[in-house]
Amino acid sequence: MAYDVAVIGAGVAGLSAARAAARCGARTVCVDAYPLPGGQYLRQPAGPEAKPSRLQRRGRALADSAIAAGVHWVPGTTVWALSDGVLETIRGDVRETIRTRAVVIAAGTYERVAPFPGWTLPGVMTAGGVQAQLKAYGQAPGSRAVIAGSGPLTLVVAGTLAAHGVRVAAVLESGRPVRRGLAAPLSTVAAMAGQPARLAEATRHLAVLARRGVRPRTGWGVVRAHGTSGVEAVTIARFSPSGTPLPDTGKVVPCDLVGVHNGLRPATELYQLVGAELVRRPSLGGWVPIRTETFQTTVDGVFAAGDGAGIGGATLAAVEGEIAGRAAAAHALDRPVTVTRGQRRRLANARRFQALYARCYPPGPGLSTLADPDTVLCRCESVTHQQLLAAVERGATTHAAVKSLTRCGMGNCQGAVCSPVISDLLGDTAAGSPAARPPLHPLPLAALIEEHT
Amino acid sequence: MTQHMDVIVVGGGVIGCAAALELARAGLRTVVLDRDPAPAQASVRNGGGVRAQCRNRVERLLAMASIELWQRLLTDTGADIEYRRRGNLRLAFAESTLEALSQEAAEEEADGLRTDVWGRAEVRRRAPYLSDRLVGAKYCATDGHANPILATWAMLEAAVQSGVDHRPGATATAIEVDAGRVRAVRGTAGGEPFRLETPLVVHAAGPWTRELAAPLGVTLPLTPARNAIMVTQAQPPLFDEFVSAHEVGVYVRQAAKGHLHVGGVFTVEDTFDQRVSTDELERLARVVELVPALRRSKVLRSWSGTLDLTPDHLPVIGRPAGIEGYLVAAGFSGHGFCLGPVVGHVIADLALGRPPLVDVSSLSPNRFRPVAG
Repeated sequence: MAYDVAVIGAGVAGLSAARAAARCGARTVCVDAYPLPGGQYLRQPAGPEAKPSRLQRRGRALADSAIAAGVHWVPGTTVWALSDGVLETIRGDVRETIRTRAVVIAAGTYERVAPFPGWTLPGVMTAGGVQAQLKAYGQAPGSRAVIAGSGPLTLVVAGTLAAHGVRVAAVLESGRPVRRGLAAPLSTVAAMAGQPARLAEATRHLAVLARRGVRPRTGWGVVRAHGTSGVEAVTIARFSPSGTPLPDTGKVVPCDLVGVHNGLRPATELYQLVGAELVRRPSLGGWVPIRTETFQTTVDGVFAAGDGAGIGGATLAAVEGEIAGRAAAAHALDRPVTVTRGQRRRLANARRFQALYARCYPPGPGLSTLADPDTVLCRCESVTHQQLLAAVERGATTHAAVKSLTRCGMGNCQGAVCSPVISDLLGDTAAGSPAARPPLHPLPLAALIEEHT
Repeated sequence: MTQHMDVIVVGGGVIGCAAALELARAGLRTVVLDRDPAPAQASVRNGGGVRAQCRNRVERLLAMASIELWQRLLTDTGADIEYRRRGNLRLAFAESTLEALSQEAAEEEADGLRTDVWGRAEVRRRAPYLSDRLVGAKYCATDGHANPILATWAMLEAAVQSGVDHRPGATATAIEVDAGRVRAVRGTAGGEPFRLETPLVVHAAGPWTRELAAPLGVTLPLTPARNAIMVTQAQPPLFDEFVSAHEVGVYVRQAAKGHLHVGGVFTVEDTFDQRVSTDELERLARVVELVPALRRSKVLRSWSGTLDLTPDHLPVIGRPAGIEGYLVAAGFSGHGFCLGPVVGHVIADLALGRPPLVDVSSLSPNRFRPVAG
């Protein structure tokens, strides 16, 4: 199949990009790993019985308008290789090769998780994972929850759980976002003034929690999960302003569900496959692609938009997607690209919020801070903290060397969870980003043999 | 600041470390300069084959000695490099291939290497996991495979234990020669320039050897080439042997944790790019012609390394004409991992004026010099 523009990802940025490209007259395909459009933020209910939320209705409308604009939406399909205008995709066992003149990568993020003793017990999930279940099935995977870590998502997930009737035992933010926001009150007010929807959302979640007597605590976090066949309780503790737990502040809180979340990081594999240069920007979530003002990466015809190009939230993702989609169409159709005044204004507005977010939720002290020596940091290959430290002690000072000596990140998830832990452990940009090579996801070997279209 | 060393090894891969180990054992103050912060190139990015069979004669003799030296290293250090000495199988799909393998078996026998030629029935009986299209195979029981990452680190650590001054992140930028003698190596480390005086340089920098040798008037015909390897998800034990078929162009081994590593005898030439293309994965997928059951497996990941090919695909080991104190060990063309220990030994022999463990005169760098007239 051949297109002018291929968009990878059908979240806010991807759908916005695909719609914009199609509206410019480009033959556009939007390939997405999920069966339903919307990505994480606008994730749709999995069945018809669930009543869609306001966000879900917005997501449906965005997807419908993209399809109405002529976008060929290809759901449930994974991109496992990308090079020179060729996307290799797989859906179930069926491989399809897509040729295109321009690509918009809007592949989103991974959640960052700081492993603590007990984090591998059933019932301990990422907060985003809890949220995804709530959105898709309208059901919580537990009845008494603790949500902990850092970032606005913790509040959102706790509020959503409470609204679904789950008892929220604690909502813990290990940082000091309010204090940090108030440290520069004028820019905070300016940034929030442009975000009435966000203010309303935050207020709504706080109100839901308040009605149930739950008051989110800042400067607290989970340091240990207890249980045998599943989580039964957690130890929570006060955190210092630098983000490390303080001794002798621990309390035990019974629960059967723990949602942990330490911010997001862009998924960088597709950029690496195509050879786009990355730069490390901890305030944007880690490694991000270098981009022009119309969001082209350092590779001609390859664009990047949304949180997957630097954490900035849904408002920024929408306008980035729109501009990147138009720029990709212009590239494919060999036309000049223009950014409208309205887009510039929305971009500036969204970037003020992005800056506020970065200020309120600075990167913590490192994702391995809470781990004991025998805490497993790579679940796929069962690699412990101690093993990673031993490799560094042996002289493995690069990401590749640590990975090759310990197998950390070599398993089925290909380092989705543990690769930022290695980066934090090495604590140096010179250590390099983890390499990415095809296939990005486990690929039936037969797909490399059979004749394909 | 200038320091004085007895010998400087440029290149911290398995060859450089093996040479340094032998030189340090002989009492020389030895430095290893590695521009990478940790072993990173072909020594840790290869198929892990440790084999003597199916080689050119001089490589066969080198490999036979090297396999003994690998055993000795493991005995000496107690390192676990996931070494499985459970055979190498070279497959034949055509009668003519099997005939050639039989002939080779006779030559190997003459050199003291025991191999067995299996016919169709014997393949079926001894290796039922293989394709029933095979007409036969040649089996060498004393060959095997290892984890090249762990093995290279073990060699590096043995060298350091023996007193080698290992300097990761130190890039050699020039070899100083004066009046036909090596004088020093210049380079940079951590942004700072350095100069180390020495009468002896061992140059074992893989495909990067070429650029540093050129200013000395030494032309090494080394071509960088990419060799890709793909890895399946872990599976229950299927087979122990290292299996290859040149007619199909692939080899496969099952690594210690159950993953199948599939490599190819083909390369993408003239590139330092280590990205892996779909085309390479498709060529590697032909492994199902060897082991049909792999059709149901899933490919988990891939990687690649940069080889240094020579025109005759044989290494360059020895002293370039006209420069005292300069030894080259490069151009291994994808065969360097297994040969590491013996090449280290031979380089030390040449440096110290000892009779070499294996005669490598046919591998001299001077073999490529254009014939005058």
